[in-house]
Parts: sequence; C-alpha cells; structure tokens
Amino acid sequence: MSLIQCQQLSKNYSGKAVLSKVDFTLESGAPIAVVGPNGAGKTTLFSILCGYIKPTSGSVTIMGEPVGSPKLHGILSALPQDAQLDPDSSILSQLRLFAELQGIKGKASKIEAMRVLELVDLTKEAKAKPKSLSHGMSKRVSIAQALIGSPKLVLLDEPTAGLDPANARRIRQIVSEQSEHTTFVISSHNLDELEKLCDQVIYLEEGKLKQALSIQSAQEIDYLTLVMKKVDMPSVHQALLGLPNITKVTQSSDHQFIIEYPTQEDFSLEQQLFNLLAENQWHYKSILKGRTLEDTLFSS
Amino acid sequence: MNSLTASSPSGITHIWQLAKFELSKRFSSRSGIIALIAFILVWSVILIYPIKQASNIIMEPSFKEFIAAVFGPTTLDQLFNWQVSEFAMFWVAALYLFPMFSIFISADQFSSDKQRGTLRFVSLRVSRNSLFFGRVFGQIFIQGFLIFVTLIATTLLVMSRDTGLLIPAINTALVIFANLLIIVLPYIATMALLSLIANSARQASIFAIILWVIVSIIITLVNVKFPGLEILRYLLPGSQLSNMVNTQGLAAFAYAPIPLLQTAVILIIGRIVMQRSAL
Repeated sequence: MSLIQCQQLSKNYSGKAVLSKVDFTLESGAPIAVVGPNGAGKTTLFSILCGYIKPTSGSVTIMGEPVGSPKLHGILSALPQDAQLDPDSSILSQLRLFAELQGIKGKASKIEAMRVLELVDLTKEAKAKPKSLSHGMSKRVSIAQALIGSPKLVLLDEPTAGLDPANARRIRQIVSEQSEHTTFVISSHNLDELEKLCDQVIYLEEGKLKQALSIQSAQEIDYLTLVMKKVDMPSVHQALLGLPNITKVTQSSDHQFIIEYPTQEDFSLEQQLFNLLAENQWHYKSILKGRTLEDTLFSS
Repeated sequence: MNSLTASSPSGITHIWQLAKFELSKRFSSRSGIIALIAFILVWSVILIYPIKQASNIIMEPSFKEFIAAVFGPTTLDQLFNWQVSEFAMFWVAALYLFPMFSIFISADQFSSDKQRGTLRFVSLRVSRNSLFFGRVFGQIFIQGFLIFVTLIATTLLVMSRDTGLLIPAINTALVIFANLLIIVLPYIATMALLSLIANSARQASIFAIILWVIVSIIITLVNVKFPGLEILRYLLPGSQLSNMVNTQGLAAFAYAPIPLLQTAVILIIGRIVMQRSAL
C-alpha cells in the first residue's frame, strides 16, 4: 500500500490555480523532500494532506485512507507552518492533551509528553507557557508534538525556517534518528539540508509537479562535483575534458565543476583526477561523488 | 516503535477530553482568571445587596403594591410567591446576567486558536465534529460551574437568615440550575458559530451585538407589518426571557423547548460551518 497517493490534485483560490493536476505516489521509508520556490504550492499540498483544506478536484489517499479518516488519527502527524500552541496553557498540559486524544491514557500521557520533549531537549521547559519560548524553542516544541505516539507519517513544513544553525542541526538529527520508524515528508527551501536527509524528491513549481526523482537511484551516468580554490578555471576545464572516459564537464558556478562520466566500479577516474590536480598544483576545496540536489534539480 | 502507540479513542471520548481541557484552561489561564474575577465581583455586589436584602424588601407590603402599580397586578406577581425570597431576586438577575456572561466568556471558542493555527494540532487527532462539540461542551461545563457556584453562595445566604429553609433552598436551586443551563445553551451555540467566522474574540462579541440588534429590529419591523408573524421573535436566543421573569419553579420549564430548539438549529449550522472551514 502506498504511503501517499495524489491523483489529479488541484486547488484553486479565487479562480487562481495554486495546485494544478498534481499526480504522485510516495512509498514509506527514507525521508521525502518537497521542494520548490515560494508560491509553488508546497504548503497548500501539506494543508490538503493534513485535511486543513479541501482540494478543488482530484483525490488523495494516505495509507489507503482518504484524508480526514479517523483511521489516520495518531498515524499521521504534522508540523504545520507557523502554527502555534495556545500561549496561555502550559506546554506539558497541551502535549498531554494531544497524547490523550491519541489514546495514551493517564500517567502514560505525561511520560509520552516528556519523552518527546526530551527528544527536542526541552524537558526543562515542560511547565513553561509557549509565549515564554524563543522562536527556535517554539519550533522544537511543535516538532515534539508531531512525534507523540510515534506516528507512521510526519509532515514537516519548513521545519528549520528561522532557526539558528545549532537548532537546525538538532532538528535534522531528530529526523534522522526517528526515520527508522517514521516516514518524514519535509518541505524546505534548504536544499543542502534536504540532501542530507532525503532520498526521494518532489519538485513543485507554480503548482505543478515538475520532477519526482530519487537522489540515490542507480543510473548509467555518474557525476563528480569538484569545487576548486582560487585557480585558473578555464585551464582546469580544458584539462578535465582531456581525461579519458569523461562525457561532459560543466562549470556550474565560479569555482565548481560537474564532471559527467559513464558509471564505473573502480576509482581510476578519481586517481587520474588527483594526479592531474597534483601535477598542476591546482588546489581543490572539495570533491563530491554525485551532484548536489540543487544541481540535480536545476541542471538543464 | 514506541510502546505507547495506542488506538484512537471514540468521538465521544474526544468530546469529553476536549471539554475537560476547556474547563481546566478557563480556570488556569490569565484571561480566564480575569473573567472569573469580573464575574465574582459582579455577583458579590448582587449577592450582598439585592439578594441578601430580598427577604426584607419582598416581604414589605408597600413594595408589592409598588410593583403592582408600576408593572400591573399580574405582570410580576409570581415574584412574591417564591418560597425562598432570595431566589426570587437571584432569578431576575440571573435570567439576564448569565446570558450576557455566556456571550463574553464563550466568545473565543475557536477564533484565536484558528488564527494562530492551534486548531491544526488538534484536528490531526480528532474529527471536526469532536473538536466542535468538545469546545461547546467545555463552555457548557464552564457556565454550569459558574451557575452552580452562585447558587451555592445564594443558598449560604439563605442559611445565614434561616437554617430551616435548607431543603426548599436546595430544591429551588436545582430547578433554577437546570433552567439557567438551558437558557444559556443557545448563547453558547451562537458564540461557537460566530467565533468560527470571526478572527478574534472581540470580533465575535461585536458580531453577537450586531446580530442581536439587527435581528431584533428586523423582527420588530416584520411584526409591525405582519402582526401574525409574531412567532418570528422566537428565532432570537433570549426572546423568552421577559416572559420567564414572572415564572417560578417547575413552571419555568414550559419555556425550555424554545432555547433547546434554538440550540439544536444553531449547532447544526455551526457543525456545517466547522466541516467546511479551512483550518
């Protein structure tokens, strides 16, 4: 059974199409990224999946159930973008309520609330009210509520937006740790972050599904991403093209090359590349096997 | 997987859980405590002055003659037939004050939570029906608690005058409790509906005032033009209150179908709005 299945999903606001006939099927497993520029329809897609809004047309099923089905209570959870807890009730009392609504009774609800607060390092703030928390802490509490009862599917809409690097890293760690039991679908503008976490990627643009791909999928063509220090880039470019078995070399930014070559099992290309750099005293900054998500999505 | 994974409770359990949370939130949050203090102050004044003095005033033959002269001999005659006179004064004050309190106390059933996205956390765990009725029942519990507290205070006042009135006071208090709770139901339901549409508690309260004023004017105008349509006035919550002033005891239940029907209709509309709202 598919995790999420969207068929011809459309949503219009005042006649303007925000989502237009989106079709995709996602399976359980590693975290899944939903990317796209502002206004691409990511939050609208998440809102439909969570049942906050109804699609204008098309259908969605989550684990075979229609959105809003009582069978999804406690199975599907989410971090809705910009949603805040009640500022006047303590964090613990609200998390306990959520746990109880999911069927975790009595003292077990408190234990569960404390467990998820522990995951986001906020047990000390359990009795505080949400209005006393910083933006980063509020976000972590909202992520904690999404993890109550270990749901099978968690939708995270911009989980690290507005967070400092340390907090963003902590969120990535949590997603990584919980991925064993939970499938996360994450929307973000931060492609580097998604690249570290996700395999499957859904790319939306102007409400349409532009690409659906797997970062790790086996392909006939392989890539190396080479980032150079301050060197004569045209000379490096020419030299790279002279190496055997290279299909294509593209300079994707001021100091970065994408080297395209037929997939091979050994490391002969890497060895030749290092020899070339050493002979010419060209210092490199990094070599990445494959392409960045940004290059994958936006290469023509 | 965590061992705490549990099956989701039934809709009725969800309604009960949400209602309980509303009740505890009302008496623990800052805004709830402020509203409670205002309520206590108003009722303290009413209890200390008119209600405590009620037995003396109502027993005075001159007061009875004065009321008969001003309002007519049968308009408020039932006021003098209450077995426990303090409750006569309580009844008149409560008939108008509790609806007013219920409008303001239950004005924020959904609006603020909807604006800040708090409802989104809840709606992932319960159906929209449970969410709607859970909040409404929470407000009914709150109003029930407030009515109960004022009745206890009034009973204590009665006891301070004459301990022999304990049993009639309790009987009267029970009948009043049930009547007042029925009276506030359509107000709570109306505020549930308005707070779904409004962006804030203040806006919901303004909508309520506009609704009552405009609908009253329209009904009055229709009645002037078509006197046969007087029944239209029962569309508006509270339309029976002026008639209820001159009732007492079980006789007051004769008016109960009006607020009960109004509540049912408003809740049906509220439920539809809740189902169709974007959260």
